[in-house]
Amino acid sequence: MKLFRSCLIAASLLVPAVLANSTAQAEDVIKIGAPVEISGKFVSYGAAAKRGIEMAVDIYGGKVANKKIEVLYRDLQSDPQATVNSFTQLLVEEKVNFLIGPIATPMTMAGLPAWRRTKALWVVPGATTPLLEEEAGKEPMLFHTFPYAYYYHRALARSLKEKLGPGKTVAIIYSDDAYGREHLPYAQKYFTEEGFKIVAEELVRAGATDLNPVLAKIRRVKPDILLGLVQTTDGILLTKQVYVQRLNIPYLVGTAYPQLKQWQDATAEAQEGWVGVTTYINGMKAKADPKYPKLFMDSDAWVAEFTKRYNRVPEFIDVGAYVSTCMLLIAIENAGGVDDKEKVAAELKKLDVQTMIGRGHFEPSLGGTLNQAFADVVVHQRVKGADAILYPKDFETADKFEQASYAK
Amino acid sequence: MLGLTLQILVDSLLLGGVYTLMAVGLSLAFGVTRIINFAHGDIVMYGAYAAFFAFVGLNVDPLLSLLLVAALGGIGGYLLFKLTLDRIIESAGINQVLLTFGIGLVLQNVAVILWTGDERSTTPSYAFDSWFLTDDVIVAKGRLIAFILAAVFVVLLLAWLRWSELGRATRAVSQNRAAASLMGINVRAMYALSFGLSSALGTATGAIMSFLLPITPFMGFPILVKAFAIIILGGLDSVIGTVIGAFFLATAETTIGYLVPQGIGWAEGVAFFLLVLVLIARPTGILGTVGREA
Repeated sequence: MKLFRSCLIAASLLVPAVLANSTAQAEDVIKIGAPVEISGKFVSYGAAAKRGIEMAVDIYGGKVANKKIEVLYRDLQSDPQATVNSFTQLLVEEKVNFLIGPIATPMTMAGLPAWRRTKALWVVPGATTPLLEEEAGKEPMLFHTFPYAYYYHRALARSLKEKLGPGKTVAIIYSDDAYGREHLPYAQKYFTEEGFKIVAEELVRAGATDLNPVLAKIRRVKPDILLGLVQTTDGILLTKQVYVQRLNIPYLVGTAYPQLKQWQDATAEAQEGWVGVTTYINGMKAKADPKYPKLFMDSDAWVAEFTKRYNRVPEFIDVGAYVSTCMLLIAIENAGGVDDKEKVAAELKKLDVQTMIGRGHFEPSLGGTLNQAFADVVVHQRVKGADAILYPKDFETADKFEQASYAK
Repeated sequence: MLGLTLQILVDSLLLGGVYTLMAVGLSLAFGVTRIINFAHGDIVMYGAYAAFFAFVGLNVDPLLSLLLVAALGGIGGYLLFKLTLDRIIESAGINQVLLTFGIGLVLQNVAVILWTGDERSTTPSYAFDSWFLTDDVIVAKGRLIAFILAAVFVVLLLAWLRWSELGRATRAVSQNRAAASLMGINVRAMYALSFGLSSALGTATGAIMSFLLPITPFMGFPILVKAFAIIILGGLDSVIGTVIGAFFLATAETTIGYLVPQGIGWAEGVAFFLLVLVLIARPTGILGTVGREA
């Protein structure tokens, strides 16, 4: 009985101490939820996002305001239901106040209703859909760090007009999925505004095996420019079949796919002359940020550091996730290391840094998102197996678009 | 108009060849074992990856690696049957469906883990080449090769089924397994053999698809759906019916794609609608017997 009483007293003394210790430990950690596509259809996006986030936390030193940064990765499996579950788990069970990810548009849209339950500070380094803008653009806790689809077409139309001159004709091929249908109205708007005449608009099925009927129709209208509003898999098929058909359209324009190594490897000689848009491409030169030179290094130094770590050249999502994470960490630091989304959001809004993908500063987007950063896109062209940058002026490495080459 | 008609004809034929490749292995396996192999599309995908790695790693052209890929596919299919399907061959059909569906999911996810979701493609020179028959009529060399190989595969398969001892045994099992068993044919061995052969055709198809379509771990499902539609149309257990079904679907899709505004968006839907009409008129498919026996 005496022994039992002693144990009880010891336990009653110990429990509060243990609890106090664990509370202190909890307070010494800043938790960031990272719902990303680590498997499934969008695994290449999620894997790149994870690399960018990991590298940012590591270079930051693993701590912010002396508190350990704990990134809670959740695999969305590229599946909407898994996305809802992951968001709910992070926001309701883990009670995270900061989220970064996902990348793919469908996953971001799937996570949106779950996010509304707590409205944590949400950095979205992907999702080109203006639907996100319509649904949540006015939310003060949403920080979008990737251009919406309309920025692609504004930059493409401007750069083509600037370099090719007026009076050119455009044929558009768009896929019947959300991607193609969503991009079409913006392509129509900005190309028409810049004085291009749209002479054909042809629908293709996403995942189709044969595009020849569409290409034959386009051949008949003899456009100056072919614009392909499709995703990467269809982009590969389109590029190959355009080449095989010898369409003889001088200028071939895609969206994001011409920058991807997988597209380049899969299309071989057919890639020559294709124009694309991106937020980052190798060869872009940016100076280090004067205030945060260790985080936002000179672009060459950053590429070297990334390549050393991952044994591969960074792609746009790697860089985008990296700079977005760094900006979030700086904001948490500037807010005094508090786990308070309002204070951190206020600091994030104040940030103005020079990054490898341009100015990192949040301001309203063209379509009304309150917090939009990195809206500028780069227009590039595949020339002799490398990238020439044609827009904007600051990054230009070539002054004219080359015509697509068709074999013999 | 003549040029357009000729181009529709050429494209229909070439697409029909591709569709035949996608479906013929599935048809063979079903004809003998009466199991619809929902993992067939993923077996095609593994063939495409094998050809891709042979091309990139060893610089072997997909048309050369095709034989080895088919042989490996055949062995893999045989083992897969022996280790899994053989154990539930007498079970209810739903168990077989669930098992092959599950195998397909496992194969797909293993591919994602091994090779990520990145798109790939082999890039032999003929995949980028074409001939102009006239100013308007173009024949893509890669598709022509696929068409020729489809014809070769079908002829060889039919010849094997007709004239070889094993082929005749396979047909006997397909027509009446009880009678075949009474005649001393090892029915289960024939099942395993035809499943292996079906997988060999599947992986060979993958090797050909490697230069026609983007290779991803997810390429199998659309191929399966298309192949499934074709074998239903042609008659589930008939190789010739499968060929007819493939060309029927290809011609319908191509014609709609060329002649109807925004036609390629409609092509698949209209083609499947025609499939339903054919099945209403002839529920066993064009040359099938499944359903008549029941």
